[in-house]
Amino acid sequence: MTAIAWVNLVRLFRDRTNIFFVIIFPIILIMVLGLSYGAGFAPRLGVVGGAGPQAARLVTALERSGQTLVRVGDDAEARELVESGRLAAALIIPPDYDRALSRYTRIVLPFVSRNEPSALQMGAAVSSVVGQVTMPARAAAYVRDGSFEQLVARAEGTRVPGITVSAETIGSRVIPESVSGFDIAATSQLLLFTFLTSLTGAVALIETRQLGVSRRMYATPISTGRILLGEAAGRVAVALAQGLIIMFGSALLFGVRWGDPLGAAALLLVFSLVGAGAAMVFGASFRTEQQAAALGLLTGLGLAAIGGAMVPLDLFSGTMRQIAHLTPHAWALDGFAELLREDGTVVTVLPQLGVLAIYAVVLFGLGSWRLRAVLTR
Amino acid sequence: MRAMLLITAKDLRQRVRDRSLLLMAILVPFGLAAIFSLVFGDVEDQQAPTFVVADQDRGQIATTFTGQALAPLERRGVLRLKKAGTEQDARTLVERGEAAAAYVIPAGFTRDVLSGRPATLRVIGNVNARIGTFVARSVADAFAAEVRYVQVALAVKGGGSPQEAVAVAAPVTLENLAADRRQLSIGEYLSAGMAVFFLFFTVRFGFSSILDERRDGTLARLLAAPIPRVTIAFGKLLGGIVVGVVSMTVLVVAAWLLLDARWGHPVGVGLLVVAGVLAATGVMAMVATVATTAEQAGNVHGVVAVLLGVLGGVFIPIQQMSGALEVLSLLTPHRWFLEGLADLHGENAPMLATGPTLALLGFATVTTGIALTRLGRMLRT
Amino acid sequence: MLFFPAAQQTSHVTGTEILKCQHLRKTFGDLTAVDDVSFAIEPGQTYGLLGPNGAGKTTTISMITGILERDGGDVLISGRPHNTTSTWGKKQIGYVPQDLALYPDLSARENLRFFARLYGLPRAGIRPRIEEVLQVVGLAERAKDPVKAYSGGMKRRLNIGVGLLHGPPLLILDEPTAGVDPQSRNAILESVSALTGEGVAVLYTTHYMEEAERLCDRIGIIDLGRIRAEGTRRELVGLVGELDRVSLTTDGTRDVPELEALPEVRKTSVQEGHLEVMVQDARKALPRILAAATDAGVTVRAVEVHEPNLESVFLHLTGKALRD
Repeated sequence: MTAIAWVNLVRLFRDRTNIFFVIIFPIILIMVLGLSYGAGFAPRLGVVGGAGPQAARLVTALERSGQTLVRVGDDAEARELVESGRLAAALIIPPDYDRALSRYTRIVLPFVSRNEPSALQMGAAVSSVVGQVTMPARAAAYVRDGSFEQLVARAEGTRVPGITVSAETIGSRVIPESVSGFDIAATSQLLLFTFLTSLTGAVALIETRQLGVSRRMYATPISTGRILLGEAAGRVAVALAQGLIIMFGSALLFGVRWGDPLGAAALLLVFSLVGAGAAMVFGASFRTEQQAAALGLLTGLGLAAIGGAMVPLDLFSGTMRQIAHLTPHAWALDGFAELLREDGTVVTVLPQLGVLAIYAVVLFGLGSWRLRAVLTR
Repeated sequence: MRAMLLITAKDLRQRVRDRSLLLMAILVPFGLAAIFSLVFGDVEDQQAPTFVVADQDRGQIATTFTGQALAPLERRGVLRLKKAGTEQDARTLVERGEAAAAYVIPAGFTRDVLSGRPATLRVIGNVNARIGTFVARSVADAFAAEVRYVQVALAVKGGGSPQEAVAVAAPVTLENLAADRRQLSIGEYLSAGMAVFFLFFTVRFGFSSILDERRDGTLARLLAAPIPRVTIAFGKLLGGIVVGVVSMTVLVVAAWLLLDARWGHPVGVGLLVVAGVLAATGVMAMVATVATTAEQAGNVHGVVAVLLGVLGGVFIPIQQMSGALEVLSLLTPHRWFLEGLADLHGENAPMLATGPTLALLGFATVTTGIALTRLGRMLRT
Repeated sequence: MLFFPAAQQTSHVTGTEILKCQHLRKTFGDLTAVDDVSFAIEPGQTYGLLGPNGAGKTTTISMITGILERDGGDVLISGRPHNTTSTWGKKQIGYVPQDLALYPDLSARENLRFFARLYGLPRAGIRPRIEEVLQVVGLAERAKDPVKAYSGGMKRRLNIGVGLLHGPPLLILDEPTAGVDPQSRNAILESVSALTGEGVAVLYTTHYMEEAERLCDRIGIIDLGRIRAEGTRRELVGLVGELDRVSLTTDGTRDVPELEALPEVRKTSVQEGHLEVMVQDARKALPRILAAATDAGVTVRAVEVHEPNLESVFLHLTGKALRD
């Protein structure tokens, strides 16, 4: 039985492209995704102009208010960047901003944005900063008794009780600060690839059937049950190998943490069993390798998308989240999240382990039953 | 010409026989596009954040805040408002994530402001609703600035009434310039991304099927036939192009009909698709010339197609890529194809995506040229 | 059996060489695959290139068919220079590659139609011509099935059929019987004989000396890229100067000195129950040998005649066996 498992691993790695798809590709993807998540999804505000001291003050205030600013050359470029979605919006500060302000000429700042909620919200925030920064100038405009500079200086120096805005946040962070973009990327890619490689690896099972190798195995004095067990072990070995490569690879290269080792190992093992079970069903159900490979790709990537291994489950709406939990991916993701975010242990992820185990048992049962049927036919 | 078309027709006949092409060229990319649209469309569905107001003051200043600062924003669709009876109710709503943030206006707020005592407006945000909390705070800050302005203005002037002060217009205001959306929705982006990703696998059956002919021994027959050698190459390239254009057309139309994708002007999209297919064909042809067997070519093709796809933003939208990767992505046809579609997108979009289409044709010319100079290597039996 | 449309039969001038190779040379890096190979074939003649695998047969053929650029020498088809780009010359050649060169997912008819059109056969004539060839190779009933469903022999026959399709005056067969069952092999050899009867010139490579002996008017023995000897079978055997050997199985072990007296006999030897006689021409001397043995009181149980064959010629020329 271990012999069959070993043969399957050797076959996986003998094909040199598999080294790419099993080792290099997932690592590259984790890197790219990790870097992207790390950059954060913070919407960016473009700023055109801002040369004079007053204008510079406005820009500084915007920056201080927490906006991610990007300097843009001219209006056309700003519009282009907003239209293509690289900027959420752009604020255009005209060159005569300082002069107009000191001469009490009203200034209208063009704010280029698309008619979308995120851009509107940014507009409200920018407008607020503009109001705060130009408050002394407005006071000067009201007083008009002396030079602009003097009045502004006096307004700035005046202390009033005003309204204090106190802000606090409540609720528990879905994604703690300590969880890096790489952590999220690695967890989701672990599940995506473990499952995907299992399914595409099912091609080997079909090859075995076609080459009649399994028939030959039947001729040797081994019981059918043991052959099925061997094939299953082969599938599990492939899934586990893929999972371990990603786990250790991402830990070594990107410092990804997996939480409680025992819990992580248990989750990976049970999820590998699910992947292997699905591979058994695939291997038994399809006639040609191409069919299995194509549908394996579709199923592997599709389930990963639905299950939250492409976009974090936290971003899903309620209904989609329920649908997501029809996939083993979502349960495994919950398990890993529990380990990493809540410092969970193997005990606290027991519910997830249980659900995954049910998946594994059902898929293995179905797979062995179908496989026994096609192998003995 | 006749011989070239003969070879193309023969190749197409072979491809049609091979059902797996249908799977890989159409079913898988479309299936993935459908799933992605469902999942990511849901994620993308942005909604205005809900703010809860717990007004325990009900005074003049408090109603000014709710009536003049918040209500206009609600009317413009920037946010949605909800009332809460007590601070605790507001907190609970925020804690549950049903509201992004809450304003708590404490009792005595108006009295404090009017009598020049420090007053506090409290903003309670949900820790996960970063942007919502930020907006809630900005709105409160803007209101606080207005109040400060009146107090400062009166203090500097040494007299006057708040009404007079408020009457002075703000010196700087924002004017919203609406920009078009020339960006694909996530659903469209991923549909197009999957289509162009799998396109690279589809067209590889063109040029590199020379290697299949070598394996099957038929290449010797083609070389011995009374036709110029280059017609073999062109016939093969054309076969890949036809399959590529057909599959892309099916995918684009299917996404439009079934996934509600809205592409740009048909002429511009058509030209972009053809240019994209030519570029993909060229790249895969060039890559095929490093291989000596069909199996090798298949392996190298897989690796190249996947790497270009990742870099080209098929899996991660370009907007989210960091600097260096974004520059690198310019080296992939995928990026130009997706960018071209984005250019064509939107109400005032041009009919043609000239830049990206030309870039793709440039890819096609260079890579096909390189492939053809290495043709001799491919045509060894 | 009509193999060729009448129009094609007059397309070459009878009596002149349809194929003439002069000093062909091809090197791959350090390896000289073909070195100064020259021979010629006339219409109706079958020329055999006999040599072991790797001797340079396929490389020679690739240069003749215009598949491979040559490094030196000339190929003349009906007197016209031929190279990789001469479409006229390529139309004169029917080429049957050593490997099965067929599209497995297309049917026999589709394979034939594709190549017929590639060779520029007139559209109207294609259909009847395909049916004709299908009859000849005996695949008319299975013409609709994809080639991958065929047996090895059927594929071989179709492989040859494609070469015959455009009725070329020169047919080049590269090991057409490799891996074929004896029955199919026989059929293939018979068709080739029939073709030469119709005036087609045939270039035939093989490493089976029986085939070369049976089929070929002239044989070139090729090894390590060089033609070591060329001529008819008799001429080649004559080169070796080897004797025929008559082996008699006898009752008892007795010497027959009378045999030595016969003019053709060069040598006799006696072994346990055997009498070995080396003679000049076994067929002519056999009756006299038997008579002499009977006269000497020896009872002959069985007679075996061993004539020297191309195998021994090859051994003589190259110092190695034809099939390793």
